[in-house]
Amino acid sequence: MQVLVLVFINIILAISLNLVTGFTGQLSLGHAAFMGIGAYTSAILTLKASIPFLPALLLGGILAAIFGVIIGIPTLRLKGDYLAIATLGFGEILKIIELNLKITGGTVGLRGIRQETNIWVVSVAVVITIFIIYRIMKSRVGRSFIAIREDEVAAEAMGIDTAKYKVLAFAVAAFFAGIAGGLFAHFYRYINPNSFGFSRSIEILSMVVLGGMGKISGSIVGAAVLTAAPELLRSISAYRQLIYGILLVVMMIVRPEGILGDVDVKIPIQRKLEKLLNKNS
Amino acid sequence: MQKLRKLVWISLLLMVVLVFTGCGQQGETSKQDEETIKIGTVGPLSGDTATYGVSTKNGVEIAIEEINNSGGINGKKITLIPQDSKGDQAEAANATQKLISQDNVSAIIGAVLSSETLAAAPIANDAGIPMISSSATAPGVPDVGPFIFRNCIADQVQAAQLAEYAVKELNLDKFAVLYTKNDYGEALKDTFVETLKSLDKEPLVVESYVDGDNDFSAQITKIAAQKPQAIYVGGYYTEAAKIAQQAKQKGLEVIFLGGDGFYSPKLLELGGDAVEGVIFTAGFYDKDPDENVQKFVAAYKAKFNEDPDMFAAQAYDAAMILIEAIKKAGTTDPAAIQAELAKTKDFPGITGKTSFTENGDAVKDILILKVENGAFKRIR
Repeated sequence: MQVLVLVFINIILAISLNLVTGFTGQLSLGHAAFMGIGAYTSAILTLKASIPFLPALLLGGILAAIFGVIIGIPTLRLKGDYLAIATLGFGEILKIIELNLKITGGTVGLRGIRQETNIWVVSVAVVITIFIIYRIMKSRVGRSFIAIREDEVAAEAMGIDTAKYKVLAFAVAAFFAGIAGGLFAHFYRYINPNSFGFSRSIEILSMVVLGGMGKISGSIVGAAVLTAAPELLRSISAYRQLIYGILLVVMMIVRPEGILGDVDVKIPIQRKLEKLLNKNS
Repeated sequence: MQKLRKLVWISLLLMVVLVFTGCGQQGETSKQDEETIKIGTVGPLSGDTATYGVSTKNGVEIAIEEINNSGGINGKKITLIPQDSKGDQAEAANATQKLISQDNVSAIIGAVLSSETLAAAPIANDAGIPMISSSATAPGVPDVGPFIFRNCIADQVQAAQLAEYAVKELNLDKFAVLYTKNDYGEALKDTFVETLKSLDKEPLVVESYVDGDNDFSAQITKIAAQKPQAIYVGGYYTEAAKIAQQAKQKGLEVIFLGGDGFYSPKLLELGGDAVEGVIFTAGFYDKDPDENVQKFVAAYKAKFNEDPDMFAAQAYDAAMILIEAIKKAGTTDPAAIQAELAKTKDFPGITGKTSFTENGDAVKDILILKVENGAFKRIR
């Protein structure tokens, strides 16, 4: 159950990063920072202001989205590696801020957070996330994201406001990462700045890449595999990290396009759901 | 490419086989359920903080080996199930959950870092499994619940005990405080000053520095102007050695006091003559002539081929306290073990006599060491 909750939280993180990196083609190495904003905001609100969980969670997501816009605007001029470094820097700055503020508890972090997250809450959150991102990707906005990824100049020539859509992608992704952070904080009941550092960002990115970029189902598979693998490998304790590493390398050699790659897995229900969703719109 | 593919598939297959054989072994140990008592450890065995976790696991291992060699607890052997947390709070929580629900451990020693302990402890407490951390010094760890204990010296405790010792035993009365600006240094400084105030003393001057500083002449000049008898340095051995040397050069004759951050052979190496007479608190002293300490040090060296550190010693003591509680309880029922743990009083360990307070925090007489003739000597 413990691991399943973490899998679900990671699915939300991977899908949201996929929106920026997979669909819009902007490499971000600071996704965990948005998660941190959501985690700290919601935890401080429920802990110190006794605000109910749900509004606190949403406020955490909204603040993360605002930061998504703030980081999105100045980094618009940057592309590829330069953008990656800028987002990495953003993540580090945020970690330093969390380390030094009084309200975030400094190096000690925040403890005694209420337990609000359980398997049902995260299940609902995952379904809502998948639904919203799926709808976005099927809409004009989603097609604009993909156009930006394929060729930014061409996209602009076609009349797509690339600046607007890039910021939008960052904001939406940051919102869901913030929600995931809030769920994380209220599940483990303790957070500190190290929970949202560079290594967490890389972990999320690995999920996206391993599962297959630009695919919602890929992110789900990637998050599930990479979260469950270290736990399943616990039985071989000493070789755990070694095999985990080898698995990653082997995967990238055999299927650089990700586990799902260009195979679009469609379970029968999915097709029906899609029909239903498309009819409604 | 075809060949590469084949190779990759073979290695994947090998891995699957490895995983399954690993599981097989796990199954076998669970068969021996009734005859053994299972204790788990949670801590970083890989990653940046692995040294702390490995020391902790090793310390517990020595304790369990010692008991198993002398016939176990009431005839039952103990098996140790170590779990890696990578120093990550989510992993520590998962590992704790796994120990409780899959391995059915009777108790857990861990976690190692404060952050992972704060995430793992609520799980153990909710499941009613006793957990003793031997190194999580952060405030709030024992407050998680009745099943959570810790066996280490909080930063606050050592500063308070040294302040008392300095005033009551050394009869000092004019103090200066110099501390490093991080959570460790500030905790030491705050408590030292508070304890002095409770003893009707006031520090003459409080100065700070930053780790990595090389020149302390500004602070030393200010301190010298107040003519203190002793300087309490809340920091680590590198800076402490430099501070002592620079004070000596300026002709300042004082007694230096410090915390467990002083405890390293490097203090003597870097400080030379200047650190002669330095007095500081420590969690563990491996040259202690005490018989139990030497037995532990010898066993540790024989098994792991290195000197035990404070983490190993505190983990050893935590395991011994736990074993004592299981012996007294006469059962592996976690609630009975918890009840006996809570009663622990004056347990004679290698890190001093230990008792648990009502909420599970350790109270112990902290060791006080002094530098004499270029070597450490225990004076309390």
